[in-house]
Amino acid sequence: MSDYILELNNITKNFPGVKALDNANFRLKKKSIHALLGENGAGKSTLIKIITGVYNQNEGKLFLNNQEKSFSSPNEAMNAGISVVHQERNLIRRFSVGENLMLTNLPKNNLGLIDYNTVAKESKKWLDIMELDIDPNTIVSDLTVAKMQLCEIAKALSLESKILLLDEPTSSLSPQDTKNLFALLKRLVAEQDVSIVFVSHKLEEVFEICDEVTVLRDGKNACESEQITNLNRQKLVKLMIGRDEQIIKSKKNIDFTDESLLDLQSINTDLGHKNINLNLKKGEILGLYGLVGAGRTELIKCVMGLDKINSGQILLNNKEIKIKSPKDALEKYKIGYISEDRKKEGLILMHDVLSNAGITVWSNLKKILSFLNDSIVYNKVDPYVKQLEVKTPSYQQIVSNLSGGNQQKISVAKWLASGTDILFIDEPTVGIDIKTKSYLHELIIELSLKGTSIILITSDMPEMISLADRIITMKDFKVVGETINNHNYEEMSSSIMGNIHE
Amino acid sequence: MNNKIPNFVKTNQFGLLILVIVFICIFSFSTDGFTSRFNIYALSRVVALDIMIGLAMMVVILTGGLNLSLGALGVSAAMFGGWCMESMGIPISITIILVLAFGSFLGWINGFVTVRTGVHSFIVTLATMSIYFGFMTLLTEAEAFRKLPEAFTDFGSLKLFNKYISPLLIISVLTCFVLYYIFKYTDIGRKLIAAGANPDAAELSGISVDRMFIYCHMLSGFLAALAGIMLTARIGAAIPSMAGHLGFDWLLPAFLAPVLGGTLLSGGKVTVFGTMLGAILVTLINNGLYLIDVGEFWVRFFLGIILLGAVLLDRAREYFTVKNSIVS
Repeated sequence: MSDYILELNNITKNFPGVKALDNANFRLKKKSIHALLGENGAGKSTLIKIITGVYNQNEGKLFLNNQEKSFSSPNEAMNAGISVVHQERNLIRRFSVGENLMLTNLPKNNLGLIDYNTVAKESKKWLDIMELDIDPNTIVSDLTVAKMQLCEIAKALSLESKILLLDEPTSSLSPQDTKNLFALLKRLVAEQDVSIVFVSHKLEEVFEICDEVTVLRDGKNACESEQITNLNRQKLVKLMIGRDEQIIKSKKNIDFTDESLLDLQSINTDLGHKNINLNLKKGEILGLYGLVGAGRTELIKCVMGLDKINSGQILLNNKEIKIKSPKDALEKYKIGYISEDRKKEGLILMHDVLSNAGITVWSNLKKILSFLNDSIVYNKVDPYVKQLEVKTPSYQQIVSNLSGGNQQKISVAKWLASGTDILFIDEPTVGIDIKTKSYLHELIIELSLKGTSIILITSDMPEMISLADRIITMKDFKVVGETINNHNYEEMSSSIMGNIHE
Repeated sequence: MNNKIPNFVKTNQFGLLILVIVFICIFSFSTDGFTSRFNIYALSRVVALDIMIGLAMMVVILTGGLNLSLGALGVSAAMFGGWCMESMGIPISITIILVLAFGSFLGWINGFVTVRTGVHSFIVTLATMSIYFGFMTLLTEAEAFRKLPEAFTDFGSLKLFNKYISPLLIISVLTCFVLYYIFKYTDIGRKLIAAGANPDAAELSGISVDRMFIYCHMLSGFLAALAGIMLTARIGAAIPSMAGHLGFDWLLPAFLAPVLGGTLLSGGKVTVFGTMLGAILVTLINNGLYLIDVGEFWVRFFLGIILLGAVLLDRAREYFTVKNSIVS
């Protein structure tokens, strides 16, 4: 008898034209936290989908508790004790926490109606196990993002799951919430006999919480069940991308006494921003740091004219401007916004590469009588798509079929093509593989060196410290600190966290 | 549209084309008179109208919305045209311009209210359907305009191409080409589609989504008014009940043509020629079933079934787009 709860041996999975997995192995020890790593497109999602019964492998075997299994549906996998907590929330927002937890097996009373007392009692049991102080009658949409995440885990536990797959569980959590989540996961492993597969792009987290690591690269094992203690960050990155990670730092001399290009003066907004003052110099990367809910994205959206500014002034080159809409911002003032949510706000997923990359320049390119054909657009956007090394079979490819990294490149490319002077870049590398991430970092620096002024919102502290020239810290819709970045991680991060927790 | 044959074969339009041919074959063999000059001419007059109202619905479905007021709007515009020509003696050409402007205006009301209130166009156009039709009935006292200029009514009964084809069909087909051109080769057409596909992303990319949605509703009103004029020319009179009570008679073909044609109900995709083929298919089935003499109720029954089938097809399309995109 082996002490593996889950074993996948020599798994191969073919899709038309692609070998997503090629003789891949994955072994999960009982009561361990196992990191599954790899760049986008390396085969992680495919492996997870095979474990959870969404796909069937073409070759290879799957053993659960030393018994060979093959799941024909996610339901079967769930009944066998395998639960997956996705990046996207799978809770019904209008239902209560209790209803969500008990959804698949709602207790009924003698009349066949739902017995809400039992719902509350049963779900309370699982919330207690997780030491979660949530009233089961709370409506899910009233919870914070972090609490929703924890409820999802509680839901998985309530299904008596012994294997928990967590896909990027911390992507929308603050550092504090992440800490709490990790403490919980460790406790679950120790007390509830749960084994966890942990998928994340944040390597710091992997080192913090995982026992073993399996890395996939191009569908094959780059390493298999390696002890985390045998690895360090450099080795891990090399396993993932096949070469050493390039550390980049912005080296620029910005004179912060120069006149500002964009100046926000005592801005108060409908959304609750209080007396916001900040200025952006030409060619500067100004970082906006803060926890989720600090009001950074909201501030930018107000500036873009999507929400109302109640008082205060916006100056562009010392002249007061009024931005009524993103159209106004783009066409009149050459200001663009790269959204944090590329699937919802950044791209039109059902449309092709060409129309996504060209959407910002149509207005400029149109000829007489609004005439515009594909080749005009192509000639304009092609240099940028090439520059960004977007990997796509053709410009007619539907964007939803591309990998996350390539999608993000396209949502950046369209703004490069539009030739804006000021770019607001919101969380540019969330859920993106390391290679593309460092590529985008280089690009952002290069852009600023060429004179584009950038306001960068990111919750990724290393990213902030390697890119920004100056860092503004926000908390509760207010500016709470400003620091000139010296690119020293320890100093900067403690100074920023100091601002936040003052 | 793609030049490569294998790609075209995979499209919805190709499937429709095959269906159209199959039905033509079935009805030619199983009925007398399907291929007669008289029947083909009659078909061309009917299909012309079905195409036009299909297009009128398509441009609103593009926004992810609906236009239930289509029939009421078209008839109201037609009655306005009848009044212009008969009561006011306004020349035909100017009347047509006025009617199209009036239709666009009614469409603008639909769009403006939808955009400003944020209420789904289903509700808005349900209300305006009743309002337009009610007003029209009130003002005309439910009386028809039957003394229209001869030049106008003659056009409706003109027979071209060896007396097989009505000029109305030519107008509809030309409209298809114009719309195809707009959606494929103009800045504004691209913006309409982008706004329909993902309003948030379009807005953040510098497109005024509200304005685009209003344009779509105006275009819908324009096309519905054009359909109204064509129907008036075909009948030779402007009659309040010519599209049924509240314009209901137009609704089924209006939905069937674009949905069969491959326009996604969730918005963001148009298929102009698909809508044309969809309308042809609907008209064929309608006509063929009448010729087989199955009776009015069965025809409606079948069209209902086809609409349900088409909606299932719509769901399947979305499902398969998702399935394909899973591979990464």
